[in-house]
Amino acid sequence: MSHFTPTIVLLKEGTDSSQGKGHLLSNIDACVEIVNTLKTTLGPRGMDKLITNDRGKSTVTNDGATVMRLLDVVHPAVQTLVDIAMSQDSEVGDGTTSVVVFAGEILEQSRSFIKENVHPQTLIKAFRKACFKCRERIKEIAIESNVEDEKQWNSMLKKCASTAMNSKLIAGHKDAFSDMVVQAVRSLDPEFPEVDLIGIKKVGGGAMEESFLVNGVAFKKTFSYAGFEQQPKKFNEPKIALLNIELELKNEKENAEIRIKDPKEYQKIVEAEWELIYEKLEKIVESGANIVLSRLPIGDLATQYFADRDIFCAGRVEEGDMKRLSVITGKQIQSTTNGFTSEMVGKCELMEEKQIGSERYNIFTGFEKQGSSTIILRGGAEQFLAESERSLHDAIMVVHRAMLNSKVVAGGGAIEMELSQYLHEYAKTIYGKEQMLISAFAKALEIIPRQISQNAGFDSVDIMNKLRKGHFEKPKENIWMGVDIENEGVCNTMDSFVWEPSLMKLNMLSAATDAACLVLSVDETVKSPSLQENNKISMEGRK
Amino acid sequence: MLRFDSSGKPFIIIRDQDQKERLTGSEARKANILAAMTVANLMKTSIGPLGMDKILVDQDGEVTATNDGATILKNMQVENPIAKLLVELSQGQDDEIGDGTTSVVVLAGALLEESLSLLEKGIHPSKISEGYEKACDIAVKHLLKICDKIEFDKENCGSLVKAAKTSLGSKIVNQYTEKIAKISVEAVLAVADLERKDVRFDLIKLEGKTGGTLGDTELIDGIIIPKNFSHPQMPKQIKNAKIAILTCPFEPPKPKTGHKLDIDSVKKYKELLEIEQNYFKEMTDLVKKSGATLVLCQWGFDDEANHLLLQKKLPAVRWVSGTDIELIAIATGARIVPRFSELTEKKLGKAGMVIEKSIGTTDEKMIVIEKCSNTKTVTILVKGGNKMVVEEGKRSIHDALCVTRNLIKDNRIVYGGGAAEISCSVAVNKASKENTGVEQYSIRAFSQALLSVPIALASNSGLNSLEAVSEIQLKQMEKESSFLGIDCLSKGTNNMKEQYVFDTLRGKIQEFLLATQMAKMILKIDDIIRPTGQY
Repeated sequence: MSHFTPTIVLLKEGTDSSQGKGHLLSNIDACVEIVNTLKTTLGPRGMDKLITNDRGKSTVTNDGATVMRLLDVVHPAVQTLVDIAMSQDSEVGDGTTSVVVFAGEILEQSRSFIKENVHPQTLIKAFRKACFKCRERIKEIAIESNVEDEKQWNSMLKKCASTAMNSKLIAGHKDAFSDMVVQAVRSLDPEFPEVDLIGIKKVGGGAMEESFLVNGVAFKKTFSYAGFEQQPKKFNEPKIALLNIELELKNEKENAEIRIKDPKEYQKIVEAEWELIYEKLEKIVESGANIVLSRLPIGDLATQYFADRDIFCAGRVEEGDMKRLSVITGKQIQSTTNGFTSEMVGKCELMEEKQIGSERYNIFTGFEKQGSSTIILRGGAEQFLAESERSLHDAIMVVHRAMLNSKVVAGGGAIEMELSQYLHEYAKTIYGKEQMLISAFAKALEIIPRQISQNAGFDSVDIMNKLRKGHFEKPKENIWMGVDIENEGVCNTMDSFVWEPSLMKLNMLSAATDAACLVLSVDETVKSPSLQENNKISMEGRK
Repeated sequence: MLRFDSSGKPFIIIRDQDQKERLTGSEARKANILAAMTVANLMKTSIGPLGMDKILVDQDGEVTATNDGATILKNMQVENPIAKLLVELSQGQDDEIGDGTTSVVVLAGALLEESLSLLEKGIHPSKISEGYEKACDIAVKHLLKICDKIEFDKENCGSLVKAAKTSLGSKIVNQYTEKIAKISVEAVLAVADLERKDVRFDLIKLEGKTGGTLGDTELIDGIIIPKNFSHPQMPKQIKNAKIAILTCPFEPPKPKTGHKLDIDSVKKYKELLEIEQNYFKEMTDLVKKSGATLVLCQWGFDDEANHLLLQKKLPAVRWVSGTDIELIAIATGARIVPRFSELTEKKLGKAGMVIEKSIGTTDEKMIVIEKCSNTKTVTILVKGGNKMVVEEGKRSIHDALCVTRNLIKDNRIVYGGGAAEISCSVAVNKASKENTGVEQYSIRAFSQALLSVPIALASNSGLNSLEAVSEIQLKQMEKESSFLGIDCLSKGTNNMKEQYVFDTLRGKIQEFLLATQMAKMILKIDDIIRPTGQY
């Protein structure tokens, strides 16, 4: 026992720590693993995932960010990939799968360098440079569309929307939907477009084809009290009062107590309470409004009061819908009836209650200004509707982005191949290790067209050969050569209208590079034991 | 799903990784298709006039016997996510059309079954989807070509009754189809706005009662409320009633704010008593003064008030539910009054006759309000031997109501008995030959799948299913007529036009579209991640 070395306990018992090259490789493996799960959803022939959580709720989706979120990743390195998918989703809305797949491929490419003892920081430096070069190149070659020409501008937006929908379940009806999406986005205030102002309402039953766009606001009939059915359900040029007031006969203050000395006073108290609510109701009626909407409940008394005066009312209207109405009518939502006048009442051309499927909807149309619209989505099952909503949201985001930044590039792997070609050329002009590393980055870019063709069941090697040949031989003419999904081959995807906003690609490149660099720069993870494990250890210790 | 890195160390990527399993690629697709087929096969025996019923017992031991696709699926409490999709599919058809809830599931199942062999051939699932989509388009166009119109108006509704009969054919009520179909059509026509082609279902009330047979089901031109008069000595019959509808109780009013009344002397006590007494007197006086001859109240009465009402000869009903109050208000043109002081003659509703009736041998009583001034509300009183039968009867009538409504909305029809499906199948098959490429296979598969409904229909009717269907197919092609179908009830003719068996065009189109949509969705899934232990 002469070589007794005391163990030094530095960290809490049960802490998991691993470090060094082995750890880095292990992290790369973990990332590649998750990317393999995700990559079959890429491209127009990409498949969907069915994910059931432990509570039995299932989701069918093709959206990269949704898949990543539902997988519930706990691995710390892989978490960075989840984050970039999320950031792509919130920043651009589309391309969430591509960004993860691309980041994974950068890591895959760097694996052999790590094994050969290239310092991770060297890799990081080269990748950042490559990324910078790519971004410059995109800005250089992206095609600006003509904002002045209304027709051309519209068709460009439509093409971007339909490219975003290509891989989704609703691809079969992308023409109709891209039309709807573009109209919806264009209905927003061009100065401050807020995507929230486009409502998407899902109504089960009915076929996809029956979805439609309401140029205005629509919401489901709210919970109503007796008397509601007696109210008129159709108004021409109605006046709309938007409120945030509870219209119910109830106690004014909680926990208040009235002490009554004289029994004769009793009736007065009762009347005072009635007067409180009647006063509110009278003020509303006086303002000339014939549609009363409130965020808070409208009770049975108020419902009957309005019914008696041929006024339509709806309580507990969702906040989003109230906001949309407020924006489109240009009137504020009132939270008191004091000083409520006709000036605070909004206007539109038509309000109607309509039956959609098994639901009844209140539809407001014909507003003076634009600013909001609602898409009514129909479909057979809940999951179907949920996935359609996600897809529409993606398309809306893409169009929204494209409106702010009118430059587009060709999708279908064309832009990636062009960048790859460009980087290869560039690599030849520099000395040192970076040459190989930039070439590796260029190779990583090829994953997008390769995966698209693989998912479509094509011979990806063959397609890649054709693409590479095309791009290297005639870089000028074949700048937009990408995968042709229809005819299993290659084509000019700019001509076949697979258009994507350049902003999306820019964001994808930097987000993926950042994530890959982050994973590469880590050489040790210290994971504290979770609370449960901690308890287990201390229990075992006591035994 | 345990994973290892290149040096052999295991790592955990997703939460509870060891408790999750994953199926990918063709394995996943096959598992999904199998689940869908299982559900579809279960439903097959319920199709058609000779389809069988299913008994479902839920967690609380409640028994439901039904033949309605949507109801079966809803009560089965399926857990498999794919099977759940089919449940929603059927629900979607129910919400939109109200009929064809079984066929839509069977069709979706058949489409998936057909795709199984296509997948084995190595055809990419999205190619299959595209083919299905094209085929569905052809089928829908074909339906529009072969559809027929039926004519009817308020007086002449024979054709509507026949359509309702088809829908009732497979249900438990089929002994009394004639009568029930008639009732359903009358009910719909009573509330329908033929000009706007709109039918408001909430104006038709379905009331169930055990006792008697389904044949005793009747249509009441007015409203039934399952209540009786508040005092047994009140008159049981009121002619030309003027109805006051109140949402305030016959009780001294109470402030909503917490309160405390200090009584510190006998004088005050007496005063209070007097005030309370006055309240009742005042209330009944106000009601009487308005000219009302019947009071319906959403809340309760104090005994004191009840007595006073009897004295003043004011029949009254208490604890009427909110929905009933609303219906009565619409039917009689009354306004709902929240305070006694607001009651005026203008706010009263009018009804020709109000009677308290006892139904069956039990002591249960109901109040029937008939001949309302705006008679746009009707009630169907469904009777039957036991609760199960009544419930199923209600569901069947609901289906018949839906069919009638759909015909009012759109009077185009296609012929039933599988005729439309067979005709579409022939058309789609023909079109497949014009298509070069892989899609040809999936279009042909679609045409095969369309036959699943007629085949199930024939086999449920005890016929040699394949023989019967192929015979019709041949006859249809020879005579180029789209109205030949399976003669389920052995009436001796395959001519569905003569048998008056038809479905609404809208329902059929919807069925095709929804089933195709669902098949496409299921085919697109190639990866399942779920907690282990679930199938």
